[in-house]
Amino acid sequence: STLPAVAEELLREIKKAFQETSQVPDELLLGLKFIFGPTAVPALDLVDQRSVTRVRAPSGRTLYQVLGSSGKLYTCYSSCHFCTCPAFGFAVLQKSESLLCKHILAVYLSQAMGACQELAVSEEQLTNILLAEEEDEG
Amino acid sequence: LCRGGLAERLCRLQNRERSAISFWRHQCISDDKIPSDKSGVLIVKILEIFEECTIQVAICQQLEQSPAALSPEDALINAEEPILKVLFTRETAAHLKSKPQDVIHIYPPWQKLLLQNTDVPVIMNTYFSQKVLHNEHSEAREKTYGLTKMLIRKNIISLAQTFRLDDLDDKLHQESSDNQVPCAPQTHNNDGSKQHPSALGAVNDSLLEMVESQGAVGWREVQVRVVIQRVYCLPAREGYRSHTQGNKPLCATPVTNTHPPNVRLCLLVQDAYGMFSEVQLQSLSSTDDIEQYCRRWEGKSCCLAGMKILQRTTRGRALGLFSLIDSLWPPVVPVKVPGQNQDSEMMTTNLPPPSFCYILTVQSGEMHVEVDEEEQISNLYQPPAVHGLKEILGIDGCNERCSFWAQVLYQRLQSKHSVPVDQREMLLFVTDSTLQNAVHEIPKVVAVSVTVSCVLSVEIIEALSAASQLVFFKDALWGNGRIICVERTVLLLQKPLLCSAAGADLSELTGPVRLDELDSTTQANSVCALRGTVVGVNESTAFSWPTCNRCGNGKLELCPRDRELLYCNQCSEVVTTPILKMQLEVFLSCPSRPQSTVKVKVWHEMTLFVLLTMLLFLQTYEVQSVLGKEVGLLNCYVHSVTTHPNCVALEEIALL
Repeated sequence: STLPAVAEELLREIKKAFQETSQVPDELLLGLKFIFGPTAVPALDLVDQRSVTRVRAPSGRTLYQVLGSSGKLYTCYSSCHFCTCPAFGFAVLQKSESLLCKHILAVYLSQAMGACQELAVSEEQLTNILLAEEEDEG
Repeated sequence: LCRGGLAERLCRLQNRERSAISFWRHQCISDDKIPSDKSGVLIVKILEIFEECTIQVAICQQLEQSPAALSPEDALINAEEPILKVLFTRETAAHLKSKPQDVIHIYPPWQKLLLQNTDVPVIMNTYFSQKVLHNEHSEAREKTYGLTKMLIRKNIISLAQTFRLDDLDDKLHQESSDNQVPCAPQTHNNDGSKQHPSALGAVNDSLLEMVESQGAVGWREVQVRVVIQRVYCLPAREGYRSHTQGNKPLCATPVTNTHPPNVRLCLLVQDAYGMFSEVQLQSLSSTDDIEQYCRRWEGKSCCLAGMKILQRTTRGRALGLFSLIDSLWPPVVPVKVPGQNQDSEMMTTNLPPPSFCYILTVQSGEMHVEVDEEEQISNLYQPPAVHGLKEILGIDGCNERCSFWAQVLYQRLQSKHSVPVDQREMLLFVTDSTLQNAVHEIPKVVAVSVTVSCVLSVEIIEALSAASQLVFFKDALWGNGRIICVERTVLLLQKPLLCSAAGADLSELTGPVRLDELDSTTQANSVCALRGTVVGVNESTAFSWPTCNRCGNGKLELCPRDRELLYCNQCSEVVTTPILKMQLEVFLSCPSRPQSTVKVKVWHEMTLFVLLTMLLFLQTYEVQSVLGKEVGLLNCYVHSVTTHPNCVALEEIALL
């Protein structure tokens, strides 16, 4: 498959440009729009608002929590593309129309630009965050 | 949307782009011919199409010129022509209705992206694309398009395929020199050949300049010359530590542990401008000896190459690191001032202490730290300033780094059994001649807390359990009335080559070690000596148990075959001559602390007197025979001190 490699390279270009100049050039922003379509602007908005938090437990387990525009907190996994938001379920899983939802894209962009908030929690707290998702769906 | 944010900027760019696209499309339709401006136009012939998400990926061949200009024979696919992957958005694809063999003209601004590990470039931002039709075939082609659309395969992307944003060290950033407007910068792979550092570029002497000019990708071609001020180990932040097996008794067995695999050797370096950086090198194995590295490297100059920036940290975020930097400030020789020519102005006074520090690490696969081990110690090097413990206890300040020699008298692990032995904090009770010879108000022995973040070598751990050791504590932390060993503190058995000691050799202890006697100022978690008279025995706590004479295992079992015999699981053998251990709590009346009830847990093998008493006690089973007996100068560890009721609970200990 081609698109993931292209997306990855684009994000790396963004990270490099940001590290070197603290800016993201217009071409790369337009590239984001080209690849990710309507997800790009909302994802950038989430980054602007510093909505992404990396949650880490002493064992090394991590996950990301993204504060959505509605005020809801969505959980994104770090070892595969997964998000608890409805758009992910619909556009990514069901229709395979998008690579990512805006929350996962916001996670990558926040990583690239050093905009992740960091939160260290205990093992139990992290487990509770993960298990809590199950309860909601169940 | 945030004002001035990235989302707002993309919105504006996107609106502009949309207008340009619709204008262009309108122009194409109305003009009814290919726009004459040919510069920057990419001409491609589609070989294969598939879809991924809503993007159409077309594997194409790049053509030099429009095939309309070629004769039918020439129009055959030439295998020499370069292959491209052209991406189209769903909307553009719908507009083009392309299928294999179609020729597409792509007008600027388009973008080219080169991926790692592939030769096939990717073309993006292909909004301004137009299909070129050969009139002869157009009608037939349009009819078959509908069928083709159904046959375009759709690749389903795996969710497990995540993006890795680091490891940029194979790329060299190069500005594109093509005439496309605007074009994403091209990147291409370094062939990854390793070069010897001496073949690299000039040696620089400024860390800051290197960091700012090279960016986060790395300094493959430049070397920076620095002085190694300190060598130490840091525990890695991630990953599990090794676990010891089973439950080891707290005091009986030495704490042997293999090095956790994730301990990194680190250097604190300083350049000619006085700027510091922490360099994290490779992981240490259990056989590596931090003492060797300290001895061979501290104070020497070295060249750094092939580093990358892990982090830029500030005083507020890295108190431990900056307390160490502060102990090395101000520099002992004049340092250069940035922006000045060499030799014109060097400053050493009134320089503010550093407020930020770069943390560097090795690029994967390559480490270039060339230490001039043969060379002299650098003038910039500040060896640890050694003080007597008495002086350190008098320091007025918080988070000060201090270095000292001390005799370790007793070691106590924190008693949480759920934590593996090698991850427990420990207390080391130490003393030196300045404390032993001091008069009132100064304690004779102090407790040094060793936290988990202080990395101890295997040699130190074994030595500490075996016998009383003279240990050099390098860069311990003093604050809030306590000395603690934290990250960047190093415990060494051997004297470092260079250290500035104030006055006489402080390490010599003249005479036997004395502990403070139990009195009204005694606190919990300390050690003291006491004497008194037995006034009571806590009979309910008296018990004895057999232990293995080989390994000291206190949990012997009955032999399955012969239930008269005892069996040791750890030795896997029958224990024929078990050692009987006894424990008892005794109440004493101590003249040095007359108001308190003093309760001492005593063990067999601790005091000759107690042994006799116990035997007497057990034989005659008469508490009376023990009462009134005098107990002389027991060394004890204080478990707790309470005021209501006024009680001190201690445990007799054996000093190392």
